[in-house]
Amino acid sequence: MASIGFNMDDDEMMNQAANTQTLASVDPNAVENRYVVNANQGQTSLYVPSTTGSEAASWNMYRVENHSAESGSFSNSTYHHVQHSEPSSRTVQDGSNATSLATSSSLGGTNTQPDYGGYTSYSNSAGTYSHGSAGYQGYYSGYQQQPNPSYSQPVGAYQNTGAPYQPISSFQNTGSYAGPTSYSSTYYNPGDYQTAGGYPSSSYTHQTTTWNGSNYANYTTQQYSNYTQDSSGAYAAGNAGANSLHYQQHYKQWADYYNQTEVSCAPGTENLSVASTSTQLPQVSQVPGVSGGYPTSNSQAPTTFAPPWRPESSSSQTPLLQPGATVTGAYDSYRTHGAPSFQNQHPSPVQPHFMKPLESKSSYGNFQEQQKTACPQLPNLQYPVAQQAPQNYQPPMQTVQSLETQRVSKLQIQTNPRIASNLPLGLPKLDKEGPNNSAIAKPAYISVSLPKSSEKVLSNDAADTVLKAGVFPKSLKSYVQRALALCKDEKQSAACQEIMKEIITKATSDGTIHTRDWDAEPLFPIPNTDMTDKNNSQNSTAVSLFSKYKKSPTRRTKSRWEPLEEKSVDKLGSLNNYAAKYSSRVPLDEKDRKPIGASSEGKTDVMKKFRFPQMEQKSAGKTVQRQAKRQRLADASAADNGDASSDSDKEQNLTAYYSGAIALANTPEERKRRENRSKRFEKVQGNRAESNHFKAKNVGTGNLYARRTTALVLSKSFEDGGNRAVEDIDWDALTVRGTCQEIEKRYLRLTSAPDPSTVRPEEVLEKALLMVQNSQKNYLYKCDQLKSIRQDLTVQRIRNHLTVKVYEAHARFALEVGDLPEYNQCQSQLKILYAEGIEGCHMEFAAYNLLCVIMHSNNNRDLLSSMSRLSAEAKKDQAVQHALEVRAAVTSGNYVLFFRLYKTAPNLNSCLMDLYVEKMRYKAVSCMSRSYRPQVPVSYIAQVLGFSNGVLTNEGSDEKESDGLEDCVDWLKAHGACLVVDSNGEMQLDAKASSSTLYMPDPEDAVAHGDSSLAVNDFLTRTSS
Amino acid sequence: MAYPSMGEAHRRITDYLNKFCDAVSYQDVASLAQLFSFSSNSPSLLSLADALNFFQDANRLIKQSDKFSQFGEILAPLFRSLQSNRLGNLVEAYHAFEKFANAFIQEFRNWESAWALEALYVIAYEIRVLAERADRELSSNGKSPEKLKGAGSFLMKVFGVLAGKGPKRVGALYVTCQLFKIYFKLGTVHLCRSVIRSIETARIFDFEEFPRRDKVTYMYYTGRLEVFNENFPAREEIQYNGNLLFVLYTADHKLSYALTHCNPLREANIRMILKYLIPVKLSLGILPKTCLLEKYNLLEYNDVVQALKRGDLRLLRHALQEHEDQFLRSGVYLVLEKLELQVYQRLVKKIYFIQKQKDPSKAHQLKLEVIVKALKWLEMDMDLDEVECIMTILIYKNLVKGYFAHKSKVVVLSKQDPFPKLNGKPVNS
Repeated sequence: MASIGFNMDDDEMMNQAANTQTLASVDPNAVENRYVVNANQGQTSLYVPSTTGSEAASWNMYRVENHSAESGSFSNSTYHHVQHSEPSSRTVQDGSNATSLATSSSLGGTNTQPDYGGYTSYSNSAGTYSHGSAGYQGYYSGYQQQPNPSYSQPVGAYQNTGAPYQPISSFQNTGSYAGPTSYSSTYYNPGDYQTAGGYPSSSYTHQTTTWNGSNYANYTTQQYSNYTQDSSGAYAAGNAGANSLHYQQHYKQWADYYNQTEVSCAPGTENLSVASTSTQLPQVSQVPGVSGGYPTSNSQAPTTFAPPWRPESSSSQTPLLQPGATVTGAYDSYRTHGAPSFQNQHPSPVQPHFMKPLESKSSYGNFQEQQKTACPQLPNLQYPVAQQAPQNYQPPMQTVQSLETQRVSKLQIQTNPRIASNLPLGLPKLDKEGPNNSAIAKPAYISVSLPKSSEKVLSNDAADTVLKAGVFPKSLKSYVQRALALCKDEKQSAACQEIMKEIITKATSDGTIHTRDWDAEPLFPIPNTDMTDKNNSQNSTAVSLFSKYKKSPTRRTKSRWEPLEEKSVDKLGSLNNYAAKYSSRVPLDEKDRKPIGASSEGKTDVMKKFRFPQMEQKSAGKTVQRQAKRQRLADASAADNGDASSDSDKEQNLTAYYSGAIALANTPEERKRRENRSKRFEKVQGNRAESNHFKAKNVGTGNLYARRTTALVLSKSFEDGGNRAVEDIDWDALTVRGTCQEIEKRYLRLTSAPDPSTVRPEEVLEKALLMVQNSQKNYLYKCDQLKSIRQDLTVQRIRNHLTVKVYEAHARFALEVGDLPEYNQCQSQLKILYAEGIEGCHMEFAAYNLLCVIMHSNNNRDLLSSMSRLSAEAKKDQAVQHALEVRAAVTSGNYVLFFRLYKTAPNLNSCLMDLYVEKMRYKAVSCMSRSYRPQVPVSYIAQVLGFSNGVLTNEGSDEKESDGLEDCVDWLKAHGACLVVDSNGEMQLDAKASSSTLYMPDPEDAVAHGDSSLAVNDFLTRTSS
Repeated sequence: MAYPSMGEAHRRITDYLNKFCDAVSYQDVASLAQLFSFSSNSPSLLSLADALNFFQDANRLIKQSDKFSQFGEILAPLFRSLQSNRLGNLVEAYHAFEKFANAFIQEFRNWESAWALEALYVIAYEIRVLAERADRELSSNGKSPEKLKGAGSFLMKVFGVLAGKGPKRVGALYVTCQLFKIYFKLGTVHLCRSVIRSIETARIFDFEEFPRRDKVTYMYYTGRLEVFNENFPAREEIQYNGNLLFVLYTADHKLSYALTHCNPLREANIRMILKYLIPVKLSLGILPKTCLLEKYNLLEYNDVVQALKRGDLRLLRHALQEHEDQFLRSGVYLVLEKLELQVYQRLVKKIYFIQKQKDPSKAHQLKLEVIVKALKWLEMDMDLDEVECIMTILIYKNLVKGYFAHKSKVVVLSKQDPFPKLNGKPVNS
């Protein structure tokens, strides 16, 4: 099913891609219109285009990821497809919808600038986040399209609500929700937005599944995949800076709250597992549940709602069913707002109660936000609530898990009909997902990010975040606080937290967390963080930037952070252990949350990891890669993707996308942001390095293996076209030791990592070289063999006398047959090898090199430089001297000297001279025909121009002379010379007549492409031989 | 050295910042340029560097006031560069300087007028010099020196900034010259092509508008390029795809231009120009006076000139061998080597004159044996075939008018002007 679903998706992707484009183009105008309605100001207009663009881009991305991640859910996707077809046909409508979205976004931009700031910070801290948002937007746009037909009316209503919503969205933004602004305006949007938040986590995948069914699948292709990876990577990286201002605020205000939440969170480990599970199966089920949950919040007055909520959240134990019930009620009301169809759905959501509780909680977060809009007074409070909500959410999830699988299937079925009904279904789902996402995302944030704004307060908060659960021993807490106290600034504390997280996860996985004497534990060295100030950039961010952030980061994360995912996997593993130990309720760990992000990679993968955390690390990395590959394939169709992994590509894409926002782009702020962005990556890498370092110390075992895999992943991503610095790759770890004992081996260009069993070790290669040298077979065979030897040497990184010998041997063979390209390859390698001080026939090849320059490059500067590079010692060498004399003969046109030198050439110098003979003869004959009068005997020409020497003609025997003479006559005739026979019967060259008739005939073996060795016939005969 | 007090350091730094801001706001190029001139080793810059190293937190000072912080992106890296430079960490200094220069270019781009050109010149110069020093540091540490290359691409960017229409374009040639210096040093001369093309073909550049100093430098370098290409004659029409693109002034013209326009008091510069101009002139058949060679200490050419005058092949070969390294490095070796044919011509001419004195009626028939014998006297061991070949080449290249009769092994000279002079034209090739 899954595979089928994939295919379907791909096709749809194409369609959708087209749709999205149209939409994107439509959007700006519509947006502007809407904008006016909204009364958003000029900024919005700029804003909107950018967002729309980003959306389009993001869609593609999304899609891919979804596929990869969601194999389980795909059956749904097929289902959805049918529905999708409808939406595509209604592109126009979609466009209108999109416009509404855009407007909403624009509103958000104006209204929520503070929020944006938060957002920006977010992006800085974690590239993934921004990505997520981008993806989100894309997603969201897609979303809108679908719902639009039915929803068009609701949209208007939404927009109205939008104003209040926006504030909320800003809150969400702190999470990563930059996008939410748009949401606020339209009903849908909020849902989408939330989903964006959820992206990193499982929720996304869920959505995708459902979405795929609808139109979304198409949209999400690329970004999605990226997103998931990114998120995981980012998380793993432990984006220190991630915390947004909002967060901090929340922290402060809700410190108490937090504690509660923490308690409730205790199941954090569970949460992690839950998250993963949710990604796997529950998503579908969740969706219904979510829908149920949503309505509750909506239906009820937000204000009223909030209070009940919090209690629930605080008491994580709250029965799932209860919230579900409430939710359902609320749900109905909610839907009524949007459309009648919703109501229909409501019942179904109610059924999946188990799931609902979780979702409802998440939805709660959203609701709270909504409430906030309603009651702007309490935004901060609400926000924290939202965070809590996710936590709460997770615990229920766990309990549900078992149920979920079943439900999922059921739910999906149910959902599908809804989907058929189109809009209502899509909306509820989105909403649900949104909350989930937000919930998940938020926790991750919390864990990762240290509060930037209020550093001091933060330190405590940070400690809390690091040790979220009261479960941890007090000594550990004080240890963390001690460490944080040493940090001079937020960046350091962020990095610190990263490390601490590592330590603590480690400890938890070891089971030593309670046994260790944390008071006596030495503090780790505080990392130097030269991080840029994320906050600064964040605050100033404009919408356009924002959109850019989203895009570029996603891709980047993909390329750079793949290795990190392994870490996250590790964490997952540790979490599993953790969970096992504290099966009941363990405080949520930041670490735990991170893994959630990773879970998005794929349900199955996640599952595996959980079960065999350590075993599967490697496989996880691979799966990631595979996903990446799949994405890439999918990308190929999309215009903007390309090999998006490279930063520059991304940036180019971005610029292309945001050409509309150029005005913004060139502002100094923008520039700053760009710089920050680039710095951010430095930071991230630095962090990673640090954490790796740290790990190395702590972990010890299994490190080597990890390094190898990391290196592999790195190299892979490098090959993938990312512009990762080559230095990052640990080549030692990649070097292969061959085990093959076969002496003979055909050359085959490697297309994958070398397999040691097919690589010959050095001893065997030595034998192979001997075998080739003594072989009687033709050059092609030898060339093939030598190439395979060279390959084996390269793969094993053997650079010694043997390498030199192989290259020398190959160069000589190549010279003998005049295979200059091959010779040049060898020569350039030899140059490097000689420069490394490896002994060989240095002089001989210096002479060849010189001859080569003289004969073929015909470039005075090259000649001068290679001459000036010759040492005095080299100039005394016979071969080099010969080469120098040849050069003199050539430059002066002294053909007599040239052919004499030809006869006395040492080594293979004559082979190189061979290549010049024709030219030299022609020059000589034209010179003669001009200078001699009346005639020149051909015998003389033959003698002077080297025709007479089949071998060495010291005593030119008559036979040979005559042979040479005939050759000479043929040659002269071929070149248009006029020959006459004089009275003595001797053949003469009529100089005067010839001077005007000489020509250079086209070489017989000339071919259009200039390389006769590539001629088809020749090739066929060669291969058959 | 005595460390300044904290207050003193603070004062120096703010002093510098004030100077910078004043220079920018008053558009005072001279003092602005001074502020960037690292290599001048001016005491004020040195003491500023010390103050920076002492004070450490100069960035705070920059951020403190709006006046400074608007140039923060320029000043912060500049300070870092100064510091590292002072500490001898040249690679670091280069990096910071490049950052600074980039920021400055950004700012420069925004200035309508070209008032800051001089400061830009200083930056272009300093970045090159700093890159060279950084490369030396790198290679002494066994790392691959690549900073000069980086400086090259930076200057290419600067060239792009200047090479538009407008008042700034007069600065383009200076940057071009710095680029030439880099490319010649790196041996990546082919990179000069694109710059030259835009200078010589772009309509917006009227060459004569550029400052004389730059024109001379430019002509010197392009002249050298033409020497490489053995492009000697006075002017040549360059065709591209069959269309006349432009008239190319070649080595002789360019180097002569440089010579006539350069500052006559700068003997070192004149010598550099002559080093290339003399071989060019020699290959055109124009010999310098010995006193010129003596005046500019170019005596390595003396033997070559004498060989040409006397037809002394041995002397030429000897001179080439003696100064081989030098000639190879400067790139004139091949040019000088080609003078051999002119030496042969001179030798044959001498033989001809001697024969003419003996027997005018048969003077135009030169026996090959005679020439071989003459070469023997010069200790040139060449057999008949070889000499015959050389004679045919001389005829072929139009250094000798006449023909060679193979049967009788005689060079038959034309009765009219058997040894045509080159008169500024190169030997046929």
